[in-house]
Amino acid sequence: MSTVLQTEGLVKHFGGIVAVDSCTIDVEQGDITGLIGPNGSGKTTLFNLITGVYRPDSGRVSILGRKATGLESHKICHLGLSRTFQITRLFWELTVLENMIVPVRKVGLRPLFGPGMLGDELDRAMELLARVGLTHLKDERADNLSFGQQKLLEFAAVLMAKPDVVLLDEPAGGVNPTMIRFIMDLIRSLNAEGVTFLVVEHNMSMIMELSDRVIVMDQGRTIADGTPAEVQNNPLVLEAYLGS
Amino acid sequence: MSRVGTFLKQYWMFVALGFLLVYPLIWRAPYYHVLGFNTLIVATAATGWNILGGYTGYKSLGHSTFFGINAYLVAITANELGWNPLWSAPLLALGVTVVALVLGWIMARAKGSAFVIATIAMLLIFRLLALNVKSVTGGAPGLSQPLAPWSPEYSRMPFYYYMLFWLVIALLVSAYIRRSRFGLGLLAIRDDEGKANMVGVNTTLSKVLAFGVSAYFIALGGGIWSYAQTHIAPIFAFSILNDVDTVLATMLGGLGTLWGPVLGAFILIPGSDYILFNFGASQFHLAVFGVLMVVIILFLPRGILPSLRDRLAARRETSSAFTGASTMEDLSDSQPRGEVPGREAPAP
Repeated sequence: MSTVLQTEGLVKHFGGIVAVDSCTIDVEQGDITGLIGPNGSGKTTLFNLITGVYRPDSGRVSILGRKATGLESHKICHLGLSRTFQITRLFWELTVLENMIVPVRKVGLRPLFGPGMLGDELDRAMELLARVGLTHLKDERADNLSFGQQKLLEFAAVLMAKPDVVLLDEPAGGVNPTMIRFIMDLIRSLNAEGVTFLVVEHNMSMIMELSDRVIVMDQGRTIADGTPAEVQNNPLVLEAYLGS
Repeated sequence: MSRVGTFLKQYWMFVALGFLLVYPLIWRAPYYHVLGFNTLIVATAATGWNILGGYTGYKSLGHSTFFGINAYLVAITANELGWNPLWSAPLLALGVTVVALVLGWIMARAKGSAFVIATIAMLLIFRLLALNVKSVTGGAPGLSQPLAPWSPEYSRMPFYYYMLFWLVIALLVSAYIRRSRFGLGLLAIRDDEGKANMVGVNTTLSKVLAFGVSAYFIALGGGIWSYAQTHIAPIFAFSILNDVDTVLATMLGGLGTLWGPVLGAFILIPGSDYILFNFGASQFHLAVFGVLMVVIILFLPRGILPSLRDRLAARRETSSAFTGASTMEDLSDSQPRGEVPGREAPAP
């Protein structure tokens, strides 16, 4: 098994606050890796450092063996890593189908000026929409969708870029239990098709059930790394969550 | 719907184009030709501006920089090299576009109101240059250039048709961009730039290209305006009022729609001329502009076309609800949308 995502000694300061403090993680191909930690432990900042939203103060990121430190977000996407956001972000004035078509893994100049929607892209978009049950809403504007539908759309749209690795930032946040089941099944079936996942989630039963491996962060560092069972019994983790 | 209505709905574009083609022949006084020409310049400029301001959401108030630069380039090359502006204007506008791409690359780092202010600063800098680099621009008195060779009686008619041709080109380019993946990326940037970047859209490149394309059509108008005026001066060539016309026309007709900028220009320019004509050559029309801007923002924030479209859609929905639409799908089927993702142009 090879490492598809690796960070080495990532550091990010905001003023006097150290949000991420020499954080080193690696994500193995084909795994569903959970990333947990108390609020403010630096999980989302780590996502932002990996995906080019912030530049790290020091440290390195590599994706599929390629150097990815400080690259612009679209280049990260072209390397094969996509993400969703903690607070769902969509192109609100575009339709559901248009939201699906915007994401691309790689686009040269010729396709850039070609028609917006190519046949095979359209087929793939419709297939993914069917998978998340949004086919009947394809011509609806994104801001007319319900919260849960928006979350599903963001997830499905990210897959249009054919990513090798997907970072999910709280996929189950604010979602009802039936939908959580649905999202878990979706992650599992995509994983079976070869997509690697790194999932930030506060829903512990979900993350423990879903993950092959769990990484725990506290105060910007990784404090534990192992199978769900190992992590649950790690005294450092209990201390981080409950206080000593 | 009546047969005339159906006919208009299908062929309104050709009806409008036909009207614009015969307009100077029906209204033969030079005044009408000048008015038509000015309206077409603003319509073309607004169509170009809309690619950046409407599709991409970056509202420049300094694009008349490129209007001014090309006005001077056309005048200087006509005087020094004897170039005919009818071919040099579109050609030199390409050169201006290259300048715009460089400036756009700098400007597009700023967002929101910072971008607006940066573009105004850009305009003021070029105006200062035009006023002070006297050896090239002639300073405040400006530059003159040869008159057009045709009879003064028809002096503006060729300009009118020339600009009508370029308006059609601008609309074709705008429609093409709207339907391309590039255009879809621009709309995505307007909605959420960070997210667009995250899903693989090269946002910097897209913004700079949009900046350049929009500059081209404004520069083109500046070059032809220069020829038609025969005398240009910095305060008219590099004037923020040119930007106000362009932006107001776009917002009045419908920001981010294909036809909105044209509709807006055809209401705004004749309207403002009417006010100027009837209430003296004072600055009164500027006050009317100000009030109009407030009215648009308060009552038609999205412009005429999108508001009309919403109203039509709402009416259609109620009527289909009465005739017994049983599911949501029935309702959505009653509002056919374009097959292309560039969001089809709203029917006016």
